[in-house]
Amino acid sequence: MNEAPASAEDYAKHEHHSFLAASHAALDNPELQSALAKLGETLGQRNRDAFAALDESDLLRERARAIKDATLAELDHHLETLEASVRRRGGEVYFADDGAAACKIVLEILRARGLKRAVKSKSMTSEEIHLNAALEAEQIETIETDFGEYIIQVAGQRPSHLVAPALHLRIPQVAEILSRDAGEPLPVDAVELAAYARRRLRSAFAAAEVGITGANFAVAETGTIVLVSNEGNARLTTSLPRIHIAIMGIEKVIPRLADLPVFLKVLARAATGQKLSVYTSLVSGPRQPGELDGPDEFHLVLLDNGRSRILASPLRESLFCIRCGACLNACPIYRNVGGHAYGGVYAGPIGAVLTPLYDGLSANHHLPHASSLCGACQAACPVKIAIPQMLIELRDQLHREPGQLGRLEALAYRIWARAMRSPRLYRLGTWLATRTLGRWRRKSGWFERLPGQLHGWTERRDFPAPAPERFRDWWHDEGRAGQDEGRAGRPRPANDDEGRAGRPRPANDDEGRAGRPRPASDAEGRAGRPRPANDDEGRAGRPRPASDDEGRAGRPRPANDDEGRVGRPRPANEEGEQ
Amino acid sequence: MSREAFLARIRQAAAAGRAHRVHLRSDLPERVGYGGAGDDPAARLIDEVNAVGGQAHPAADLNEAREALAGLLEYYAPQTALCWRHPLLDRLGLDEALSQRNIARFDHDSLAPLDQAEQRQRMFAAEIGISSVSLAIAETGTLLLGSRPGQERLASLLPPVHVAIVEAAQIVPDLFDAFDRLNTDGVENLPSNLVLITGPSKTGDIELTLTTGVHGPGKWHVIVVKE
Repeated sequence: MNEAPASAEDYAKHEHHSFLAASHAALDNPELQSALAKLGETLGQRNRDAFAALDESDLLRERARAIKDATLAELDHHLETLEASVRRRGGEVYFADDGAAACKIVLEILRARGLKRAVKSKSMTSEEIHLNAALEAEQIETIETDFGEYIIQVAGQRPSHLVAPALHLRIPQVAEILSRDAGEPLPVDAVELAAYARRRLRSAFAAAEVGITGANFAVAETGTIVLVSNEGNARLTTSLPRIHIAIMGIEKVIPRLADLPVFLKVLARAATGQKLSVYTSLVSGPRQPGELDGPDEFHLVLLDNGRSRILASPLRESLFCIRCGACLNACPIYRNVGGHAYGGVYAGPIGAVLTPLYDGLSANHHLPHASSLCGACQAACPVKIAIPQMLIELRDQLHREPGQLGRLEALAYRIWARAMRSPRLYRLGTWLATRTLGRWRRKSGWFERLPGQLHGWTERRDFPAPAPERFRDWWHDEGRAGQDEGRAGRPRPANDDEGRAGRPRPANDDEGRAGRPRPASDAEGRAGRPRPANDDEGRAGRPRPASDDEGRAGRPRPANDDEGRVGRPRPANEEGEQ
Repeated sequence: MSREAFLARIRQAAAAGRAHRVHLRSDLPERVGYGGAGDDPAARLIDEVNAVGGQAHPAADLNEAREALAGLLEYYAPQTALCWRHPLLDRLGLDEALSQRNIARFDHDSLAPLDQAEQRQRMFAAEIGISSVSLAIAETGTLLLGSRPGQERLASLLPPVHVAIVEAAQIVPDLFDAFDRLNTDGVENLPSNLVLITGPSKTGDIELTLTTGVHGPGKWHVIVVKE
């Protein structure tokens, strides 16, 4: 994976590249930066507004979470119920251990009936198992029908967002891609391009023999799969072709029909801020006698592909994910580097958890570090998945894998850990740091270059120097006097060494870069000046906890206090560009 | 691979995973997040339909509903309509409204005798879809349409315009009420396809810009009969 392809186009096509190289390319890509710039103030803000407008939304998300937790505890039982219900409704059920097995099942269904033309509605599970490649290898014409998926299928790219797969493309790029498809120039206009897709895909629907979908949920007691879309392509896919094949991860099952509205109420709000998506289809088996539309056959493929391994592990909670994409929209890292940089099928914070779990931790060692642990993902999540805690758990697992931790780094952490356990050592350490580094840098308060392996931190911004005086000493001399005025920290907040000590792993290169809040000016900075004293990069390193992501990154327990802060609009952070 | 081995593996994993359960709160009420629709569910439905990009047509009674439908048929001037068979549409006099304007009506009765290719050809060509609903949800501006012979799923899907006629008795306040109704009817009696429709077909796939009608109907009209 170090043989990294070079251009953004390559990252859009290939998987499992280096996160660092890909994120650099993403930051240098003005089209991508401009596409990402809208995300926070549109989808991200709508998520927060929608939950704020719903009474008891917090309890409702808690309820959704409780249903997932209880269902997974008896998952085998619910899958057996689902299987029996689907069979009762006249459908067939298959069990696939991994992606290859799932592809084989689908191919055998098609082969046995001599089917050659398939339409698909957007399914991350089918991306996960690389179904399109398997179908094309068998000369089965396979057409993606979600508008965004169709665009990237024509372009030969991968989705970059869970619910908006072509988010990384701008209108002129889409026009160019679809013009090639049309064999004639199409106008650079979203409405015209959508109209072209409607015409083009209508003929694909009319000709299709098989419709392939994922499933947002599956109701065990009724044998129903639930498909949520805004365009209507999932409805066409499940209404017109003679055969319907649905592929779902085993974690998508919910026990009762009465559980479904709980999830529907949170899913669309989290994803797009809608109360409900435009179309929610409940598909229960093939068409009934006398119906003029709907498939003659319904096949449901249940996919494990590593999920049972995760189910037994401390990271089991990642199986709660309902694939709404809210954590991507909320994430300062995703909003800087986009989806392709992550290199896996799933991007963003949840991708940083899932890709190492599915595809191996060592091979994806950058991903658990591709987070400032600010907690915005958990705050936006409709089922409140503790993503920051899981990333920390993965970091911990990673550092126990051989070869993942340099000897020097290991030694540094051992010393750090020792000092943090002993008040005397800690006091001595901070005293030494203020007396030496702090007084040396008394004037500027910053290091512009750190030595040796630490240079990565200062490659793109300054490192805060320790204050010339310990907080403890200052408190002893002056702070208590200030307390009488009711403002303990008054004179020192700007260069308070306690706050800085809370930064997570300053030596770690990835985190720092990923945390930079201002991508566009950053690219500019690299192209021109190496590091002007006063540009955005410099500021990113400084402690301004109220308004930037870096500041929050340092807090030890982000999950507990993010609600309030993420719920408030933060114009400085989200509308700074453009 | 074997089903038994697959399920046995999950049984083991589920058991091991119970050590990592994260939600053991027992004080959560069974029903949370119920929005409801206030005093006047029909008025709320009308507001919400408009809010999600549809066009609601309030009608005090069937006569007004008939006028609203006539207005839409004049406006769109379709030659063909793909229609549900439904008692409310009969009471409304849909047949007369169509035949007066020489609009060809495609429905289960006229389509069922044809072979599938001809059925499809007519359904794809229909210029307007006219249906009633199984239920409507006031709080979200949502229509529930269950499939059954005579109530085809494609009527609300293939034509570029969908007109639905709803009467007061079909309106429930909240999504939870709709699922309660389904449960009361018996979960084993779900139709093969049940769709919740909340607005015209939409996409935001290019630069998050809202575009309507990419696959389903771009025009969505709901005539709400308040009696």
